[in-house]
Amino acid sequence: MGDSEFAYGSSLSVDSMKVIAESIGIASLGDDAAKELADDVTFRLKVIVQDSMKFMHHSKRQKLSITDIDNALKIKNIECQYGFIQPDSLPFRFASGGGRELHFIEEKEIDLSEILSAPPPKIPLDVSVRAHWLSVDGVQPTVPENPPPLSKEAQKLESVDPISKLSKPTNKDAAGKPMCGKAARLKASESVHVKQLATHELSVEQQLYYKEITEACVGSDEGRRAEALQSLACDPGLHEMLPRMCTFISEGVKVNVVQNNLALLIYLMRMVKALLDNQSLYLEKYLHELIPSVSTCIVSRQLCLRPEMDNHWALRDFAARLMAQICKTFNTSTNNLQTRVTRLFAKALQCPSQTNNETGVGPSMVTSMKESEKTPLASLYGAVQGLAELGPEVVKVFILPRVRWLGERVEGALSGLGGADRLAAGNLKHQLLKVLAPVVRQLRQPPDLPDDYKRDYGYLGPSLQQAVSKVRASPLAGGGGGAVAVVTCTPPLVPAAPSPSHSHAIISHAPKTVETVASRNVVISASPAPQSPAPSTPPPQKYVIVSQQKGPQTQPASGASHIMVHSSQPTIVRSQNSVVVTSGPAGGAAPPQKVVVVGVQPAHHQVPSSIPGQAPVSVVAKPVFARGGGGPQPPPELDDLSHLA
Amino acid sequence: MGDKNTPLLAVLQLLRKYNLKGTEDILRKEASLGDVEYENLDLPEVELASILTAHHTESDPYSYEFAYDNLKKFIETSLDIYKHELSTLLYPVFVHMYLLLILYDHNEHAVNFLEKFGQEQEDYCQEDLKRLSIVKHKDQIKGNELAEIYSTNKFVVQLSRDASSQLKRFLHEQKSSTVIINIINNHIQVEVHDGPGRTQAQVRATTGGMLGEATRNENRTKVYYGLLKEPDIQVLPAPVEDEEEVEETPDKPKKKKAKKDNIFMKKPKSDPNAPPNDRIPLPELKETDKIEKGKALREASKRIQLGPDSLPSICFYTLLNSGHTAICTDICDDSTLLAVGFSNSNIKVWTLTPVKLRGMKSAEKLLDIDREAGDVLVRMMEEKDRDTCRTLYGHSGSVYKVAFDPFKTLLLSCSEDSTVRLWSLQCWTCLVVYRGHVWPVWDVRWSPHGHYFVSSGHDRTARLWATDHHQPLRIFSGHLSDVDCVQFHPNSNYVATGSSDRTVRLWDCLTGTQVRIMTGHKSTIFTLAFSVCGRWLASGGSGELIVFDISNGSPAAILPPLHTAPIHALAFSRDGTILSSGSLDCNIKLWDFTAITEEANGEEPGANPIQKEEKFLLRSFATKNSPIKGLHFTRRNLLLAVGSYEGSA
Repeated sequence: MGDSEFAYGSSLSVDSMKVIAESIGIASLGDDAAKELADDVTFRLKVIVQDSMKFMHHSKRQKLSITDIDNALKIKNIECQYGFIQPDSLPFRFASGGGRELHFIEEKEIDLSEILSAPPPKIPLDVSVRAHWLSVDGVQPTVPENPPPLSKEAQKLESVDPISKLSKPTNKDAAGKPMCGKAARLKASESVHVKQLATHELSVEQQLYYKEITEACVGSDEGRRAEALQSLACDPGLHEMLPRMCTFISEGVKVNVVQNNLALLIYLMRMVKALLDNQSLYLEKYLHELIPSVSTCIVSRQLCLRPEMDNHWALRDFAARLMAQICKTFNTSTNNLQTRVTRLFAKALQCPSQTNNETGVGPSMVTSMKESEKTPLASLYGAVQGLAELGPEVVKVFILPRVRWLGERVEGALSGLGGADRLAAGNLKHQLLKVLAPVVRQLRQPPDLPDDYKRDYGYLGPSLQQAVSKVRASPLAGGGGGAVAVVTCTPPLVPAAPSPSHSHAIISHAPKTVETVASRNVVISASPAPQSPAPSTPPPQKYVIVSQQKGPQTQPASGASHIMVHSSQPTIVRSQNSVVVTSGPAGGAAPPQKVVVVGVQPAHHQVPSSIPGQAPVSVVAKPVFARGGGGPQPPPELDDLSHLA
Repeated sequence: MGDKNTPLLAVLQLLRKYNLKGTEDILRKEASLGDVEYENLDLPEVELASILTAHHTESDPYSYEFAYDNLKKFIETSLDIYKHELSTLLYPVFVHMYLLLILYDHNEHAVNFLEKFGQEQEDYCQEDLKRLSIVKHKDQIKGNELAEIYSTNKFVVQLSRDASSQLKRFLHEQKSSTVIINIINNHIQVEVHDGPGRTQAQVRATTGGMLGEATRNENRTKVYYGLLKEPDIQVLPAPVEDEEEVEETPDKPKKKKAKKDNIFMKKPKSDPNAPPNDRIPLPELKETDKIEKGKALREASKRIQLGPDSLPSICFYTLLNSGHTAICTDICDDSTLLAVGFSNSNIKVWTLTPVKLRGMKSAEKLLDIDREAGDVLVRMMEEKDRDTCRTLYGHSGSVYKVAFDPFKTLLLSCSEDSTVRLWSLQCWTCLVVYRGHVWPVWDVRWSPHGHYFVSSGHDRTARLWATDHHQPLRIFSGHLSDVDCVQFHPNSNYVATGSSDRTVRLWDCLTGTQVRIMTGHKSTIFTLAFSVCGRWLASGGSGELIVFDISNGSPAAILPPLHTAPIHALAFSRDGTILSSGSLDCNIKLWDFTAITEEANGEEPGANPIQKEEKFLLRSFATKNSPIKGLHFTRRNLLLAVGSYEGSA
């Protein structure tokens, strides 16, 4: 019958009839009888469905429901079928055997006592009426109650085919202002119109909105920032401002990377996050601006003034997660986004003489290289983090083969003198172990011998072995080792939502945890044990220590070395795994300033007083906003980074 | 009755039908049939045909395909001016051939025939063909709604004089096969008109009815579509208000007053098309009604003039947490109350203003009230403010329509339980249950003057009621399928009905007769709205929107099918310049009705309209997944829309 079968309806088959007959105990139904029955049942069913369609239409629905069928049976004086009230569609199961194929509905046995003992279902919410303006004088206001003025599909179409905008009559959709009065007459009289492909002008309201939003996003008022980000993440009518927002972000990143303004970079990344979360935006068009900005924040060699103290690691982690989100959302077979991003990170991990390294030439090679030729450890950290967020498979292919070389870099830095390098190396090592452990666990069979690991993975081998065996031992690690590792070191993404019980417990210990005062190396133990500057604190964690002691005038290159964490009565605000220590001003002449210190390895090492001066990664076009950059005014307050990590 | 005798009885019946008494007697004697059987000769037409055709010479199944092919070829080769009119013949011939094939037990051939030629029928016939294709056996014809309609009624085809003579010539040539001639004689009514042959667009504009086009003769009766002369009511309360307003705006009181007078003066000019005011007895206006009318007039003077350059603002009322349960909505004339009917048989009434809904005092307390007091109406209500929402319980099935009376004291509802209920909005109880419809009642509407209302339902009738009668005053029957929607004419003298048979009909309330039958819709009609001036009738179906001219019953404008789902709400702005349509596709569209009527008036009366482009569409507003269930223009021309949010999924 082919197509026509669909055109003029299908019918029940003789086989179905026989199966149904069997199910009610009629063993052998004759072919003729089955045929007769099949035809008749088909006819009756179709008539009932036709009538139930009427009920569907009059209920102003476009989906047929069971009550419609019941009503149709009722007007035919047939008793309704009871027991078919099902919230979701009935799934048909398929079975075959004995040369027959069968679709059937599974009938589960229901335990009545279970139903009786179950708590009563929630009372549905009462119907309520809510009013909003769908149109004001013919213009649809862009409020959340209304659909986005330009649907995602339309935005996409526009970006793919800008000509389509010209062919469409523009005054029919609800977004813009209707043509009226003089303008309309003018339009009608003129025969030649020059239509622009894109509207470049923003209304006054939009300009105000843009100004407010951008100011709030990078301003110092955390409350307003939250509101602004909320607006960016939810408002449906942003698409006209999107190009400007994206330029704002990319220019901002360029400038602030040079200025090493960590806080602003974080704010900008949070803007990216908000835009990504906005369901009504079609961001594909602006990825060319966003991706470089985000990747800058992942792999840039320096993101803050004091690499050995500021928590730029959290920014790298956050940006890496953003990148993973971008890849997941926008990757298509045509843009190969994920491949390109992966290649970008993999290239950062490429050692200059990789061929040598892979054949296993020792550390002499590394030491012989000039410092400046090497990829900075911070960038390596970013690349590792960026790859790790893309999934275990990527880790296996791109990080694992380079672990030996990375280990050498870490070893070199840890044994070297540079304090910042040492810190970075520690972080990198920790990150590598965290990322690799679950992957290696999957790859290798249980007897984890330190020697094997040493042979296979070089310097990091023994530590990796420990990490792997720990993952294996951990009961939570079943299958999702990576996820667990991430959880232990990263608080949830949702800002300002730390689990209350957790934080309370730790705050109670808090005043005791800080031991060393007025020293450059603050050692805080994560364990609740009150006093322990013990170097062997088991799980390395990140701490954010904020002192309100103002250091001397900060300088981009070496400012970090001057900072003294000077606190008489430190108070610790802790959320999840980051500890923020704030202390009152200690009588310094300068106004208080907050400093963020990050320690991963709580070790008593001398922090070198300088970090190697490095050229910024991105090129500055023009300063868009450079708060505290170069000027005498103090840099903006760094906020609590715990919400980022 | 023995099987053997059935054919004989059929022959007897046939003889009687043709009044051949002699033959009949002889046959009766010969067959020695009893009197009882003879008296009970009432075999249904269908059965009769099937019995007789057992010996039919035309029952050769192959001749059908051949004959249909021939007809098709003839139409294709005919001149362009005849072609489009003649092509309307194809569908009814096709349908009857299919039914005949089934009748003669050539079921296999019937299925093949349907598959071979079904696809090439007009797109709007496909829905019917699908329904018809269910019938695969002659026993099923009897139970099938559509097949019965086709076999008991004549399909109307309009042909120009020349086209019909062409057809006659063709049929004469087809001596060998009488199939088509028989079908055309028995089942098709060819209406000959004197004009020139119509174009494809013209033909398409009026076809689509279940039984073809409306005939011209059916639409000859004069319809008084003008408005009634309004009684002078603004005299009483209006001047007081006027003075207040004058005080409020001392700048240019003169001008304002003059303008207002202008609005009031327009109406009293007697309309040649208006019916006499006493053609239908209308209820006397009560004192309270007059106050209400006065208010309405004053509001109307503050109305915004709408047009393509000044579009209305739309306030959208979203019903939250209602899912699919909210079915119908209505907003009362002064836009203070919103009623919603639910599938769980409830009716909820919300107040849209800060004034809360109050109930009436109990009977004992009412006795204490001084009836002569000026504020008796206020006193009889409960003192305490009550809820913003009240629920009315009483129906036992989905509520398909709720309607406020023009004076905001009564509410009508109709339901799947085949009743219409009248509710009081003062004591919030059910007052009357009107039983009469046999099956679900789809729609109910008040007369614009109150007192009368009209309901329609699955029983293929529309019924006119008065609130003080428990039985209908008129039953309008004639539709071939469900009557899905009704609407009162603004002058209360006529009722329009829209049906699943894809026709819109206009009935005279005075005589109960059908005065207009309007075809052109290609799908079920779900909603109707009369223009403010009373001359135009807008009707909405599954995406299509047609404006009919009541004066001659022809479609004045076929608006482009921009809605992708059934249109369930239509509303004219109070000044009649904008037509708004709301559909289940979550869109509200505004149409330039002034342009539509100008276009229609510009044409020759009687000439058929052309398909309109998008130029009538002013604007389209989408909601966030809230299908539109009701539209209402306030007296000041603010558009209120109601929809139920169905979630973001």
